[in-house]
Amino acid sequence: MDRRDFLKSAAVAGLGMALPGTYNLLLPQVEAAEKTDLVVARGASPSKTTLAAMNAMGGIKRFISRGDIVVVKPNIGWDRTPEYAANTNPEVVATLVRLCYEAGAKKVKVFDYPVNDARRCYKQSGIADAARAAGAEVSFVDERKFKDVRINGMALKSWPLYKDILETDKIINVPIAKTHGLATLTLGMKNWMGVMGGWRSRLHHRIDENLVDVSRAIKPTLVVLDAVRILTASGPQGGDLDDVKKLDTIIVGTDQVAVDAYGATLFGMKGADLGYVKLGHEVGLGTMNLSRLKIRKIHL
Amino acid sequence: MKVPIRKISSADLRRASQALFLLLFLFLFLQTESKGGDELGYPVRIFLDFDPLLSISSLLSSHALTTAFYLSLILVVVTIFLGRVFCGWICPLGTLHNLVSSFRKEDTRVMASHWFRIKYYILIFILASSLFTLQLAGIMDPLSLLIRSLSLSIYPLFNYAIRAVFDTIYQWNPPVIVDLSETLYSLLKKSLLSFQQPYFHQGVFLGMLFLLVLGLNLIEKRFWCRFLCPLGALLGILSRYAFLKRSVSEGCTFCGACVPDCQGGALAKDGESWNGAECLYCMNCDDPCPVKAVSFGFGGKAAETSLDLGRRNIALSIASGILTVPLLRITPFTRLSDLNPQLIRPPGSLEEKEFLRRCIKCGECMKVCITNGLQPTLLDAGLEGIWSPVLIPKIGYCEYRCILCGQVCPTGAIRKLTPEEKTRVRIGLAMIDPGRCLPYAHATPCIVCEEVCPTARKAIRLEQVKVKDRKGREVILKRPKIDLSLCIGCGICETRCPVSGQPAIYVTSAGESRSKDNQLLIV
Repeated sequence: MDRRDFLKSAAVAGLGMALPGTYNLLLPQVEAAEKTDLVVARGASPSKTTLAAMNAMGGIKRFISRGDIVVVKPNIGWDRTPEYAANTNPEVVATLVRLCYEAGAKKVKVFDYPVNDARRCYKQSGIADAARAAGAEVSFVDERKFKDVRINGMALKSWPLYKDILETDKIINVPIAKTHGLATLTLGMKNWMGVMGGWRSRLHHRIDENLVDVSRAIKPTLVVLDAVRILTASGPQGGDLDDVKKLDTIIVGTDQVAVDAYGATLFGMKGADLGYVKLGHEVGLGTMNLSRLKIRKIHL
Repeated sequence: MKVPIRKISSADLRRASQALFLLLFLFLFLQTESKGGDELGYPVRIFLDFDPLLSISSLLSSHALTTAFYLSLILVVVTIFLGRVFCGWICPLGTLHNLVSSFRKEDTRVMASHWFRIKYYILIFILASSLFTLQLAGIMDPLSLLIRSLSLSIYPLFNYAIRAVFDTIYQWNPPVIVDLSETLYSLLKKSLLSFQQPYFHQGVFLGMLFLLVLGLNLIEKRFWCRFLCPLGALLGILSRYAFLKRSVSEGCTFCGACVPDCQGGALAKDGESWNGAECLYCMNCDDPCPVKAVSFGFGGKAAETSLDLGRRNIALSIASGILTVPLLRITPFTRLSDLNPQLIRPPGSLEEKEFLRRCIKCGECMKVCITNGLQPTLLDAGLEGIWSPVLIPKIGYCEYRCILCGQVCPTGAIRKLTPEEKTRVRIGLAMIDPGRCLPYAHATPCIVCEEVCPTARKAIRLEQVKVKDRKGREVILKRPKIDLSLCIGCGICETRCPVSGQPAIYVTSAGESRSKDNQLLIV
């Protein structure tokens, strides 16, 4: 991306900010001509930044059609409040829910299969309240709805996956960027652990293969990586505000490997430093060569 | 023309009051469950707060006031003025007894007339033992018994049965019907059902005990209330000089028509002489009177029957109450506080001896525990500690930021903690079993315990090591290490350890902050 590109996109995004919500829908037409692989938006307000990033990506209508049932899958894994950066930012989730409805979605579902008590995670993360206020159907995972799915992957032959993620029109993956003891970082692909049933602890034994296998089985329409706050140590659960870094950044893309590869750079790493990103690149799930991608950066 | 309206009798009012309080009790019972916030709202504890038997026995046994003892004074004052209206109009267990009693065909007395004294001996026994620091009141206190039985047995049973029905329809999947049943199921999940199916040790045993107590009503009406209830006995004593009294006018023909309907067995065969301490004020006796001679009112002459328990029997009750104290304490548990390393008490629990002096085994902490990890003991803490709470991490861990058990404890056996305090209270310590742990014993990567460890600075850290596998290849592994100064013993590592059977990391009570003795040398 050169300087001119950047100014242009910043101006467009700025215009988007200035217009009321519905007028934002005009922007896709302005932008449709150019194909963007990855948008990296930065701004003080998580919801405005998400909105700007989505517009720069071509607008929500490029991805969500009228009548769609959409799953917005955040990370609600831990009993932590938003400032601890253990769960996806609630404003980002709520903004995406709102955008989906603006694009005519019939129903937007928000859920996760938390590690801590689900009631506390949903409440303390702020996600349940924010997503409900935006009109989403927020539900706890119903154990009966895990179905054994044949994956035929490198490590996973079959695994129980959640019915709602299998029987939906569109999926938006909304992870948060954090460190992880085994996977080094947890970004988009690792977020699929939240739609997997069974004894998830066992997935850690061949984590890279498992993550690539499941990421090939689930095809997200969009990946929105929340880096409003990132957890730089003691992830994925955190608990110490000293480990939290505020980046005010939202990354949007359609390539799961590319988004995670970019996510690695937030921590001073390369995509290739992450086993699952490297493997995902090798097996053709996506690309980790950021230099080959058209990345649009926006500062609000 | 006036339509004749059936006059609302006092017994109708009493029934309405019973229904109201039973519903209130059940509503509060259902509310005693996490909604995800830090505060609970309306725990069912409030019924226990009003219970003077618990506040008196706690005061005697632990020399401390229960959390909301002043509420029990209200019931004391009410009883002094109005008699045992609590038993007849309010007590939810009494109402259940009332309901079951109605299945009895004949209203005849079976038990000998002096059997009503048993409950007074039970009361004396309980108070004598509590004077010598043994807290047994909760075993037979009607509210404690009811909450324990519902929490640990009846409610889990109810949940299991309902869920089984809907799960069967779900699996069977008949068109249309399954949609209806799932809609109904989701409504029930939001109202009557618990968030997740609770499972408790001794659910069967406690449930059968409860059904036995209810079944006694088939032998004689309100058997429990008449012969066994220690709270009823206490209120009976308090009601001796109650102002609200039954009086019989001179028109009484001694026909005895009112006697079979008497709930408390307070009437002699002729229906005239009335034992105020046994009267539940059910108001059943004014309706069947053919000459309308019975009325309740304030003032009038003092109750005629005095409470004669017999000096020898009283002495015997006191002596057995006192002797039970050493009897229950001549166990090695008294000498060794760490005798049972699995005895992990809830966070905020007092030191074990003081804890047992206060815990009334009502089971509320177990009902409210969000992971179902708190379970009732049987003999794990000695017979004295029967049905007291123990955390079994294999079943469920102590959620790092949850502070609900201390909020529902009526006696302060579990202190109410602030969220900040909670993170510092240690209930035990985790230890790794390197013979089972995957990275130690099997050169297999696993970091689950480190990942789930909730402390701000992780008590479980990973140490990178190079080892050789069977083929001699070098493998880099991360091995968990526990920092004992940071571990609080919450047990999530044990709950989530993927090594099934005996987990490769486990918690024992060693190091618990409530104990001076049960400490590791190295901390």
